[in-house]
Amino acid sequence: MCPSNKSICLGTAFLLLLVSCTAAAQALDRASAGQGGPDNTLGNQSDADMWRAIRQGEAGLPSASSLNSEQGVLVNAQGVWWSDMRADWVITYGATVLLGVIVVIALYFALRGRIRIDGGRSGRRITRFSLLQRVAHWSVATLFLLLALTGLVLMFGRYALVPLIGHEAFSVAATAAMQAHNLFGPIFTLALLTLFIAFVRNNFPELTDVGWLLRGGGLFGGHASAGRYNFGEKLWFWTAVAAGILLSVTGFLLLFPDAFATRNQLQLAGTVHGIAAIVFVGFACGHIYLGTVGTEGTLEGMTQGDVDENWARTHHDLWLEKVVTDIEDQRV
Amino acid sequence: MTIVDVIEGPLWQISVWTFVILAVWRMAVIALAGRFPARARSAGSASAGAAASVVRRMAPPRIVRNSGRTWFVTLAGYAFHFGLFAVILFAAPHVAFIKEQLIGFGWSSLPRWGFIVAAELAFAGLMVLWIRRFADPVVRLISRPDDHIAAGLTFLVMLTGCMALGEQSTFLRVTHLLTVEVWLIYFPFSSLMHTFTWPLSRGLTGAVAGRRGTRF
Repeated sequence: MCPSNKSICLGTAFLLLLVSCTAAAQALDRASAGQGGPDNTLGNQSDADMWRAIRQGEAGLPSASSLNSEQGVLVNAQGVWWSDMRADWVITYGATVLLGVIVVIALYFALRGRIRIDGGRSGRRITRFSLLQRVAHWSVATLFLLLALTGLVLMFGRYALVPLIGHEAFSVAATAAMQAHNLFGPIFTLALLTLFIAFVRNNFPELTDVGWLLRGGGLFGGHASAGRYNFGEKLWFWTAVAAGILLSVTGFLLLFPDAFATRNQLQLAGTVHGIAAIVFVGFACGHIYLGTVGTEGTLEGMTQGDVDENWARTHHDLWLEKVVTDIEDQRV
Repeated sequence: MTIVDVIEGPLWQISVWTFVILAVWRMAVIALAGRFPARARSAGSASAGAAASVVRRMAPPRIVRNSGRTWFVTLAGYAFHFGLFAVILFAAPHVAFIKEQLIGFGWSSLPRWGFIVAAELAFAGLMVLWIRRFADPVVRLISRPDDHIAAGLTFLVMLTGCMALGEQSTFLRVTHLLTVEVWLIYFPFSSLMHTFTWPLSRGLTGAVAGRRGTRF
């Protein structure tokens, strides 16, 4: 091939390429102008760019760029983030934590078994809880069970119940759970306040708590001295109070969304409510275990108001000494 | 006929008529039973004594002050009874139901917030009263199965009612109606009859005291 022919060939190829590119560009232009489909349809046009711009809040578009402004919001970008965070973090890790607590308790029970009363029952009874304390405790316990059950349905139901019972049945269960949850919530706050007043007196930290903690509370063998309440019970009390306050405050915000909070605060309240509930339920699992099958004779304090003297000596020896001293002082 | 039709139709009729006929019959039996004629000379008015005891024994400050360590039980009693009374007779869905299904006329209902507050009071009160039956050794000992069944059924009726508050589901509404029907049928046979008998028993005690010239 001579050089002039080579130039002609390259020129022709370049011309063809130019024509092809122009034709392709025109076709794309037609398609993007909505000419690719019938009238009144989008055809091949994509709105992704437009929606992305709205969601990200470009100038002149109604969006959630200003999180404190509720007006003119078409897409709440913060809401999408919150929804994803709730599903990916709170619900996933929450379920993992709760299942983990149950597994740990089961393993502990399998290895340690039931903690018995040292020396067996003496037959002598010591008054431990007043009627008001017992009623306050069981009121909170009953409300806790109702709220935990309905709350777990609302939190995990979409993932755990829908595959089992279907969407329609779950919608009924979720409606019922939400109504009950909303109604029992304020009563829980009142019951928690009563519980706090009834139990706070002996739940402040003491020096003896350090010794109890160093001995692992006697949970792994050996004896750990304690007063009326041991460090574990005090920890549970203050955790329940703190989590209860968080649950109550955020619960009221969620119950009256228009009266108190912005959408941003409501999303934060929903997240805090979920985390506090998981903490409360997790601790409660341990409390229920230790108060029933985990430790012999403990439940009697809350059902009858009194405990066996040897139970008191095993778990709360310093308290027993004080009770005996007080009785002897009264006799004198 | 579906199960919903049965619950809303024949079962509702049966439960209402069972409740009305047997409750009236029990009240009539009590009213017609009479009592031994008093042979002693009257020292005061039996009627005034009866009326005074019925009214006076309802005064909250005195009752709470005299309750001792069970003051909160007295408060719970007031919360439960007044709350339940307001919910049954003044909740908007109940007023509408009574008008359409029972007597053909209605009355003003509570606003929603008032209804919710009344329901909260009723729930809190019933819970404390029922828990006390378990937590107080003496009350536990004197409680009969009927006391627990009556409290449990009432709790169930209130629970299903609160779950149906959204008024979005036929299933929840019918479940509430079914528990109400069971409650109505059980009512005349149980301690729930104290709803109607309390003025009679309290009045009789007051009347005896009034006739003797003493105060109950």
